[in-house]
Amino acid sequence: MPAMLAMENAAYVIGSYVVTLGAIGVYAVSMLARARKAARSVPDEERPWK
Amino acid sequence: MNTMTPPTSTPAPASPKHPTSTRFTRALGVASLVGIGWLVAFGLFLSPNDRVHKTGVRILYIHVPSAWLAYLAFGVTGIASGLYLWKRTRSLMWDRLAGASAEVGVLFMGITLVSGSLWGRISWGTYWTWDARLTTTAFLFVTYIGYLAVRDLGGTHQQRARRSAVMALLAVLEVPLVHYSVKWWRPLHQNETVEEGKLSGLMLFSLFVGIISFTLLYVWLVMHRQRVLALNDQVDDRGLDVALAARREES
Amino acid sequence: MEVSEEPAPGIDLTPRAAVPTAARGKKKPWFAYAVLVLVLAAGGVFVFNFLTNAIDYYCNVDEIGTKDGCDVDRNIRIQGVVDKDSVSQEGSVTSFVITFNGASMPVILGSKPTGLFQECIPVVVTGKVIEDDNGDRFFEGDEVLVKHSEEYDAENKDRVATANGEAEACSQKD
Repeated sequence: MPAMLAMENAAYVIGSYVVTLGAIGVYAVSMLARARKAARSVPDEERPWK
Repeated sequence: MNTMTPPTSTPAPASPKHPTSTRFTRALGVASLVGIGWLVAFGLFLSPNDRVHKTGVRILYIHVPSAWLAYLAFGVTGIASGLYLWKRTRSLMWDRLAGASAEVGVLFMGITLVSGSLWGRISWGTYWTWDARLTTTAFLFVTYIGYLAVRDLGGTHQQRARRSAVMALLAVLEVPLVHYSVKWWRPLHQNETVEEGKLSGLMLFSLFVGIISFTLLYVWLVMHRQRVLALNDQVDDRGLDVALAARREES
Repeated sequence: MEVSEEPAPGIDLTPRAAVPTAARGKKKPWFAYAVLVLVLAAGGVFVFNFLTNAIDYYCNVDEIGTKDGCDVDRNIRIQGVVDKDSVSQEGSVTSFVITFNGASMPVILGSKPTGLFQECIPVVVTGKVIEDDNGDRFFEGDEVLVKHSEEYDAENKDRVATANGEAEACSQKD
């Protein structure tokens, strides 16, 4: 395989990992932010998992 | 009128930093992060190149686990929806579990499509082609986006739960269609690798690292998301309490 | 906390314009409806493409002229394994031979193949079968897609395994 093609493929591989982990990270952070926002209006005792 | 305003008689509680966290979810979160670290190490560095795909095979370790997680998530949504519709087990907890799982499933299905598209560019020579596996997967993806939209159409929590549960039970029928599309039709997409035992050694181990770490991550995400949905429902209910308190004061 | 089904005693509960309800989505259901419209549109596109393209994605080389829809002079996709030592490149034109179940077809492609394209690998070529005056057929291709197998093997497992794998690659049929 020519070196150029190997480099190009490596970019797709790394890109797929970045997109995957980035999407999961953004989703997780936004979810925790939504939790904080909602928790402002709910008293502690109404969170049964506590 | 702001429906989010808490009753004036109750002081607004201090907002904790991680209101949906418990000791268990924190441990699970740490385990997921360690798993992801292993996945990156094995997927990108420690596993060997493939004889034909060369370095492109490394996308397999995120593509297959994310597809598996999407199937699992939609399966959980289907089961939880069934439990909601069954009178003996009816509880909004099942509805929230269904909604949380579907949302995380859509995330993983999106990742499956994007990573598959990048892999397709390397191996097939194109990002997209209308073959049976790709088309049914895309259809499944938009179906569950539709499911999430149906959850947001308004009404009471019970109305939301009932209509989305019915839709989830119909939508989950698409999962076997997607999975067996490579057997039922003649697609460009390859057949099953793991089920057919066509992967071995460090490559198989890397795939399992991906599956385990994504599964831990799925459980962590769904637990948090379900709790956020519970908080949201309580915020709505407290909005109703405000109205009732106002009427009490009037009468 | 769930919404109580029981009416609160002694309170006037007749509906009022600004009364909040236990309905989150009511704030902006138009967005959900817009998403649903887009989902239905996308679903329609997918079903259309599934029925027109995906059901019978390609014809095998040995099905040309024998199977319904795999006719000469018609835009089709054709599958076969690239013959060893058959690939040649002249400018932007690539030519090679594909074989399936003992039937072979020369392919002339007006572009440079991408992806994993190489000898002894299954490919799907888009284009049409042309029959010349002598009755000889060749495939005029626009695009070639590589149909790799579900088998994966470490690159440098050992030299013998690699050699065996390459020998087998040219004999794979599907």
